[in-house]
Amino acid sequence: MELKIRKSSDIYIIDVNGEMDLYNSYKLKELVMKMLEKKIQKIVINLESVEYIDSSGIGALIYICSTIKKLGLKLLITNVRGSVKKVIELTKLMGYFPITGNVIEAVRELTD
Amino acid sequence: MSDIKSILQESQHPLFSRESMFSKEFPSDYRQIRYFTLMIVQKAPPEIKEINLLEQQISEIIKNAVKHGNHSDPQKKIRVWYSFSTEEARLIVEDEGDGFTAIDEWNAFNKERLACLAQEDYIKLADYVSYRTEKSDDNDGGNAMFAAVEYWNEGVVFDDKGSCVAVGKRFPKKRPGIELS
Repeated sequence: MELKIRKSSDIYIIDVNGEMDLYNSYKLKELVMKMLEKKIQKIVINLESVEYIDSSGIGALIYICSTIKKLGLKLLITNVRGSVKKVIELTKLMGYFPITGNVIEAVRELTD
Repeated sequence: MSDIKSILQESQHPLFSRESMFSKEFPSDYRQIRYFTLMIVQKAPPEIKEINLLEQQISEIIKNAVKHGNHSDPQKKIRVWYSFSTEEARLIVEDEGDGFTAIDEWNAFNKERLACLAQEDYIKLADYVSYRTEKSDDNDGGNAMFAAVEYWNEGVVFDDKGSCVAVGKRFPKKRPGIELS
């Protein structure tokens, strides 16, 4: 799994590339926690290039989402599709996660 | 059928029938869980793989046996029985651990979780998105079995000891096509 960060004004977009599985999902969690330490307040997690997700990956998203909710900060998850969408649907968490269509929409939504 | 799906515990359940199933034995090597899964899922016809959903669901069952059942002890093995057709996937995984003894507790937790979802109470749901015990670590998502009881539509059944789990999924029959000569 590869993580790349881009920036659009005060919004940080994390492009996740590859497989979010039991061996590497913690990396996303660690990255977001470091970003929160740096007082970043608006984050987009872009799952466009994620081909595989398992319960560890879903667990990482739950952890990130609940931490950001508790802190009153802003998070959007984009491009949830294919087997990633199916796995989230099986856990019935589509309504729990702050999901929006794509990065452009997410940036628009998070722009004051 | 009830909308609330639960984990069953019944050694005599038909899903434990090993007739006509292939079997393999693996060491409890956490690093190789996805490799073991691929060795099994390669036998499945592409129609039922749903990209990699079948692989992912099998991997979760194997991970639970290696990690939570055998505590990744290399001296302990897991045994896997499996059979696939275009209409059904079945899997039995047995570990050498003490058994999953919190089945009633897990079912009660899942019932609460589903109630939060039904009421769209996302604030309370935050307490039920992940099933954790004192043995859980940071890499445990705590959600694998929520998905498993939804995915394996023939059931998720543990034996009486709790160290062997059988799952099955029936896939919709494809409409018969007309063969053209």
